[in-house]
Amino acid sequence: MDKDFEILDISGDVGIRVFGENLEKLFINAARGLYNLITENSNIHSSKAVDINVYAESLDGLLVGWLNELIFQFDTYGFLGRDIEIKNLTENRIEATVFGEEFDPEKHEKGLLIKAATYHNLKIEKQNGLWSVEVIFDI
Amino acid sequence: MRDLVEVLFKEIPSGVGSKGRLRLSRTDQERLLLRGARWAVEQGYGEPEDLLYIESGGAIEGADPSLISEKAYERGRAQQGTLGSGNHFLEIQYVEEIYDERAAQVFGLFPEQVTLMIHTGSRGFGHQVCTDYLQVMESAVKKYGINLPDKELACAPFNSQEAQDYFAAMKAAANYAWANRQCIMHWCRVAFMKVLGASKTELGMHLIYDVAHNIAKVEQHTVDGKKRRLIVHRKGATRAFSAGHPEIPDRYRDIGQPVLIPGDMGRASYVLIGTEQAMKESFGSTCHGAGRVLSRHQAIKRAKGRAIWREMEDAGILVRSAGRKTLAEEMSEAYKDISSVVDVVERAGISKKVAKLRPLGVVKG
Repeated sequence: MDKDFEILDISGDVGIRVFGENLEKLFINAARGLYNLITENSNIHSSKAVDINVYAESLDGLLVGWLNELIFQFDTYGFLGRDIEIKNLTENRIEATVFGEEFDPEKHEKGLLIKAATYHNLKIEKQNGLWSVEVIFDI
Repeated sequence: MRDLVEVLFKEIPSGVGSKGRLRLSRTDQERLLLRGARWAVEQGYGEPEDLLYIESGGAIEGADPSLISEKAYERGRAQQGTLGSGNHFLEIQYVEEIYDERAAQVFGLFPEQVTLMIHTGSRGFGHQVCTDYLQVMESAVKKYGINLPDKELACAPFNSQEAQDYFAAMKAAANYAWANRQCIMHWCRVAFMKVLGASKTELGMHLIYDVAHNIAKVEQHTVDGKKRRLIVHRKGATRAFSAGHPEIPDRYRDIGQPVLIPGDMGRASYVLIGTEQAMKESFGSTCHGAGRVLSRHQAIKRAKGRAIWREMEDAGILVRSAGRKTLAEEMSEAYKDISSVVDVVERAGISKKVAKLRPLGVVKG
């Protein structure tokens, strides 16, 4: 697979289809897909680190919780991530450090204001060794 | 008009990553969640008279700030007094056509009058409340053994602690939204005064109505001939109560509740009134907007190589937007024609046209 994620064409809201050779990559690529909707990824620099720790009752819930935490970090503190280091990932928990910087309207493109990740049609799948998932966001 | 649009764009923070000008302490935030637009008026944003023309007087009773998470407080702090992005907007319009002289007169509308429409809500605060309580509901679904057909659905019995807590938190979010619109309306009035060099009295910018269009409320409706207390959730719908309803401001009581249906930024918006038929058939509700025909992605593709702002300017509408792609996503072609949509709800009898508003200047996030 040459793509980490692609934008889904749906009416009303917006979504991403994410791929990963393992679960860690899937979570990282989902985060990149999210940041790509908010701004141009290549303009983000890694000058600040934020630790993220999310617990959920299911793997699907964990992915939604992870993305919602990143949305919270952006919507509250303007934090945009670039590099992601996952320290621990199980069915119920993710511990990661996200490296990035604060949003600067002079420098960063203003893309979509994402309000939340949803469970709509969400299904994490593994086929022929490749993980994939579709995530729809509320905007 | 260009100065006005420019000042509105500058004075009211909008778009991705924007921060409000209010710096609220925790006590301020809690008071705001309890008192909604009343809090804003107490702070000097707007007039006490405005509150008469806001649904529920600008604040729903029963909001409980202690049921709001630290995260929601944190996320909501810098966003009070911001427009947001997506389909949120400020629009300067004029009255192009009047359909119901009597109702228009009572609402203070007349041909060629300039109007201002504001579309925004509870911003990230409301979304954080939703995100927080979805987790509560997920556990509640298991606890009460509820079988749901879709993972996206979540619920709890209305009288359970979980649902009552959520309901009180949702009311706090609704109050946050009313305060937000009240502050923004105030700054818009100040912008008009500044640009036009006119006083408040000379401008006479009275609030016609402020209504939520994503909210659940306990209301009384007649079902199969019996009066019942129901929870009415309007999402993608707006309230349209008929004449005589006690929730309608005294001045409008004989006419019906004003219904505001915004269209797209290039065509029109409408003022309507609620009808008896809506009370009978749609729990006093009608549609809340035009609805999209193109996905955002399709719209961006269709707008490629075009300057949407210039096309709009050629049509006599000045536009400013914070986001580069917002105008493409929000262009007229991306939406159904509001005039046809409004004709449908009028023919269905669930609301009645009062006036058509044509855009002159638009601020988008």
